[in-house]
Order: sequence, then C-alpha cells, then structure tokens
Amino acid sequence: MPITTRVRRAVLLSFLACSSLYSESNYTLGEGFQVGELPLYIGGYFSMDYRNRDDEQRYRIDDIALLSYGGNNTLSYMLELEYKEFYVNTQNRSSTTVDRDTHLYVERLHLDYNINEHYRLRIGKYNSPIGFWNLMHINVLRETTSNPVASYILYPMFTSGANLTYTSFHTTSWSIDLIAQRGKAIDNGYNNYAINRHFGVGVTYENEDFTCKMSGGYFRNSERQNKRDLYYALVAAKYETDTYTIQTELGSQRSKKTTTTAYAGYVQAAYYFTERHVGVARLEGYDNRYVDESDRFVILGYTYRPLYPVALKSEYQWHTRYRENQLLFSLSVLF
Amino acid sequence: MRYILACFSLLVLVFVQSAAQEYAIIAHKKTPPLNLEQIRAIYLKKLSRIDNTTIVPVNLNAKDPLRQNFEKHILHMSFQRLKSYWSRQHYLGYRPPISMKSQKSVLSFVKNVAGAVAYIDASNIDDDLHVVYRWRD
Repeated sequence: MPITTRVRRAVLLSFLACSSLYSESNYTLGEGFQVGELPLYIGGYFSMDYRNRDDEQRYRIDDIALLSYGGNNTLSYMLELEYKEFYVNTQNRSSTTVDRDTHLYVERLHLDYNINEHYRLRIGKYNSPIGFWNLMHINVLRETTSNPVASYILYPMFTSGANLTYTSFHTTSWSIDLIAQRGKAIDNGYNNYAINRHFGVGVTYENEDFTCKMSGGYFRNSERQNKRDLYYALVAAKYETDTYTIQTELGSQRSKKTTTTAYAGYVQAAYYFTERHVGVARLEGYDNRYVDESDRFVILGYTYRPLYPVALKSEYQWHTRYRENQLLFSLSVLF
Repeated sequence: MRYILACFSLLVLVFVQSAAQEYAIIAHKKTPPLNLEQIRAIYLKKLSRIDNTTIVPVNLNAKDPLRQNFEKHILHMSFQRLKSYWSRQHYLGYRPPISMKSQKSVLSFVKNVAGAVAYIDASNIDDDLHVVYRWRD
C-alpha cells in the first residue's frame, strides 16, 4: 500500500476517533458536529445509486466521504477525503463485472485567508468556482442523481493552486474570482481532466433571489496521449424562491486550432410541492466535436427528502442518441 | 352616521396598528451603520466584516416565533429554504450564526461584543444599543 494512502487512512481514522470521543451531544443531521470546544467541525456524505439502460444494469456505492473544516474569521481550512466508486456492479446480457476502487482520494484540501472584507485568498485543491453545479456537485445537494454534461466536459472540476476572490457588497453583491494553477495537481486522478495548468476568471452578480455568473479560462490537459491546451467559456444564471428554482448553464470549449465542444448546456427547473417532495425537469444538449458525439435529452425526476440531508431520488432520461435512455435511483445522506 | 362610522374605522385602524407587535434589529454601539441588504448577507454569512469590524450575527432558537418572524420578514426565506441553504454551506465549510435561548442572553451578548447583531422585541430596547431597523408584523 503506498505511503500516501496509509497517511490518508490514518487521518480518516483519527478524525473518526476524535469525533466519537469529543463530539457534542446536540448533533443535527446534515450540519456536522463540533469537536469539543475547538473551532473544528466534522461531517461527511454517502451515496449509492442504481441505473437501468436497455442493455445494462448498474448498482453502485459511489461516494463515501469525510469533511473536516474549521478556523476563525481570518484563517480557515477545508479537507475532504473520499472513496469514489467504492463498489460498482455492472450486469449486461452476457456478463457481470464488479469493480472496487479503494483508493482514498483528496477531493479538497485548502486554506483560506480572509485578507479583509473584500479579498479572500484560497490556496490548495478546491472546486473550480465556475457555474453553480460544480460548487454543489455531491449527490445529496443536487436535485437529480445525474450530473449535467456541461458540468464535466468543459472545464476542470478541481484546481490545485490559488484562488483570489474580490467581493463588493452594498445592496447587491459583485464578486470576481481569479483562478491559477501552474504545476502538478493534488490527486490528479480525482478530476475530470488531468491538468498541470489552469488560469481562469469569473464574475458573479447576486441580488436577493437572482444570481448570474460568467467564467472563462485556459487549461492544459497533461495526459500523455492527449496533451493539448484548451479554452472554455461559461455563462450561468439562477433564480430561486421558496417554491421553485430555475437554473441554467451554457458553455463552449475550443483548442488553439478547432472547436472541441461547440456547446454544452442545460436548463433545470425544480418545484417544491412541499418541503419533502420535489419535482424536477431538465433539458440538456451538447455537441462534443472532439469525440464526434452530440445529444439532446429531457430528464424528469422526483426527489423525496424525509429530512433535508436525506434524499431518495428517481429520474428518467429520454435521449436522441440510441440506447441512452435510462432510469436512475439513488439514496444519499449528508452527515 | 357616516362621521360615526369613519371615526369608528379610524379608531379600529389605530388600535390594530398599536396592537401589532414591533421588533427591532439591534447592534453593538460601535457597529458601523448597516442597511437591510447587509443584514440579510450577514445572517447568511456572505458578509462577515465591515470597516475592519468582524460582524457576529446572533439568532434565537429555531422554534422561537421571533426568529421565524425575522426569517420571514427580513431574510425573506422559509425555514425549509434556510435548512437547505445551511446544508449546502456545511459542505462549503461555513456554519450558521450562533443561537441563544432568550432575548435576555441576546441583549447581554450584543452589549458586550463589538460587531454583534441581533433582533429583539422593540420593548426591550435600551440606550446601550444601536437600533439598526424596526419592523412590525
């Protein structure tokens, strides 16, 4: 077993031991708990899902993750360790395969320094601050089991480097994000692109219920077989009330010579029938020219939350691509 | 007869107005001036410092009627929406404001901690506090 994996498992076990010894008694599900009187909080999440296509069924324990964070108003940290696709059982007409990934990934590890009321500097591995979905991509916090294609084909989901955020607040809020990575990433295996460079900028406008974002940037795919420089741009908007949310993201990606993804986007509406019952509809489309693949599809879903941090979800997808129609169920919990 | 009816209506209106409970958002004396949008951002932990003063929002317990009134009239968010908001913030590494059991505790905290912000019944206001905003049911 590699030494880094041993260290990560030791960290995981230490946090679990601390949490059982020093946790406060008034724990609320979905809010984590404080370790004693220290400015240290521990939480986690879990998800499992089932997918049924015409020719294939898949059962999966997808995420088992531990969160640890804390600090004060000036300095704080975040650590997220995760088993991804811990158990995957795939059955088709002729065979059954079982895959287990027991590597403990570092999903996030960063230090935040609040320089003053306007500037925050983040150093480490963090969710690239692009769009909305990428910042809330874990199963229990989204309204569908599936992720929109636009959230994982256009830009690197994680960046290892620096993120400087400037926020101006008066009656509305404006913020600017600068993203920079130059060099090897922390746990590149846990990212949609293996990257060794990423530079980006994002602008966010927010008032009470409405938020919109624009992002653009450049990254270098460092895979040996697939080395290339890629440029992306994404616009996103969200309108949120007590009873419904409408959210959309649309982006594009190109290399120096050609368009690699002409467009990838979605519009999603979630309606809260009651606090426990949520209906979701999503329209999606993409044109990935690099692998010559395009699709347009509709998703209808229903989520039942007996408590907010527990989600039972179902969805059905109708695709224009042959054999992509599918049914998905999932159970996820935030601790 | 019309005059009597008009006077009676006016009296009812005045009575209803005066019967409506009044509440106030209060702050420590040295807290910089705040507007309602800033209050909302402070309670959602989107704004934590103003003029180099760390702002400390204080809540009453989740089931306290005054807290529910504050969340409805000032934050414009339902209990469920706030629950989902704080679950998402937990994933991002942020905690909700601290909660206190009584207005007495809140008053004592706000008087003693620079940057503290809270809400109370207007009848509990005294000269040691800075009143940021008042509202009625």
